[in-house]
Amino acid sequence: MKALIDWGMGYVARSGSAVCFLGEITGHIVRGRIRWPEVLKQMYEQGIQSVMIIVLTSLASGAVLALQGYTAMVRFGAKEYIAHLVGLSLVRELGPVFTALIFSGKAGARIAAELGTMSVNDQVLATRTMGVDPVEFLVVPRMAACFLVLPVLTIIGEIAGITGGYLIATLEAGIPGTFYINQTIKAIQYVDFWGGFAKVFFFAVIIGWICCYQGYSTKGGSLGVGRFTTKAVAFSYIFVILSNAVLTKIILTLWG
Amino acid sequence: MIQVQHLHKSFNGQQVLEDINLQVKKGEILIVLGESGTGKSVLLKHLIGLLKPDQGSVLIEARDITRMSERELLGLRKDIGYLFQEGALYDFMNVFENIAFPLREHTAFDWKTIREKVQSILRLIGLEGIEEKYPAELSGGMKKRVALARAIILDSRILLCDEPTSGLDPLRSRDISALIRDVARKLHCTTVVTSHDIQNSLRIADRLALLQNGRIAAVGTPSEFEASNNVFVKEFIS
Repeated sequence: MKALIDWGMGYVARSGSAVCFLGEITGHIVRGRIRWPEVLKQMYEQGIQSVMIIVLTSLASGAVLALQGYTAMVRFGAKEYIAHLVGLSLVRELGPVFTALIFSGKAGARIAAELGTMSVNDQVLATRTMGVDPVEFLVVPRMAACFLVLPVLTIIGEIAGITGGYLIATLEAGIPGTFYINQTIKAIQYVDFWGGFAKVFFFAVIIGWICCYQGYSTKGGSLGVGRFTTKAVAFSYIFVILSNAVLTKIILTLWG
Repeated sequence: MIQVQHLHKSFNGQQVLEDINLQVKKGEILIVLGESGTGKSVLLKHLIGLLKPDQGSVLIEARDITRMSERELLGLRKDIGYLFQEGALYDFMNVFENIAFPLREHTAFDWKTIREKVQSILRLIGLEGIEEKYPAELSGGMKKRVALARAIILDSRILLCDEPTSGLDPLRSRDISALIRDVARKLHCTTVVTSHDIQNSLRIADRLALLQNGRIAAVGTPSEFEASNNVFVKEFIS
């Protein structure tokens, strides 16, 4: 019983500390304490590192979606609606969620491991001893870069997914390319795009926050870096998927 | 310059420092000796405000730093150089960028002046021509020298060194100890060093303080330590 109470108290304390950490980051951003050269460097590293894997997985996902859609729709004589299926699925749901999950596995893990290594090697502490706020110098640029890079990667991923669908539709289903493109443009309404895209900004905050917090709190040497990095990625996945369910409900209620 | 008054610190109910009283005069080199786990590093972290005591105060030039906010402490730390046990150099920066970092953060010097200052300090520590190397390419001794250069680049009035000779061979230990003494004399730094390296400590210290189970067991000059009748002092320096 005591162990359970201790675990509960520890959980509440850690959650409180994570919320305070987000508050501290927000405070820096609101006061304009953003080191833009560092943000650009982080954007380059996070973006370049993730772009290829996002393009490949999105291309494959779009292709699989089109293949499955074609197999099902051809039974009803509705194969020309593949473009609708692929476009809407990707833009409203799969694109933002897939991209966020891949991003947290690549860039998020990198953030947590980098900050974790710096924590256990006293580099974070050294920053404080040199009169520099480590949250401002090390965390805010990474967080800001997440917020700016993930939306761009999502658009790249959605375009790649639609391209995957296009390849299957034209090569496998024999649908003319121009027809597929026109159907895609017609299918994706303004509200569909923004309904999916709005979620990306929440995912970016969740991934940046969790990965920076886990990295910044790392203790216990190289074993600790591994443990906290794994926690960062696992928590990011869980919170992205859970928040997606809530956000989807809110967006559907508001925009339909 | 530095005054520690009735300092107490415990972690999870375990007393680490108990009623510590110390005074370090301006320009003096004080070495805090003690076995591993006696609280030397904890004491040093109090001197720069990285830890808050349970009781007691730390005065730097008559200002109690235990009552300062983190933002006030960040300002104060510009005048204090801190050398970490493993150097704590940024591994994503090369030697030049590491040493130049405090200058870029706290001064308005142009690139040329920063370059000159970094080169001059590298000459002082005997490591010219390694500006482009990354910490991973340096030996343990070189890392500590570079870290020392970074700690003093702002002409710090106080220099705190945490176990600067740990992990080094006897020759490198002697070199780094001598370098700390030379730098401290040249810059007129008030210096506090934690160590368990008795030979080099006796060589460079103005005064020594010996910690035993979180309390100060003895304070004195190297010659007073060598002549001491205190059993623990005798045992420690033998």
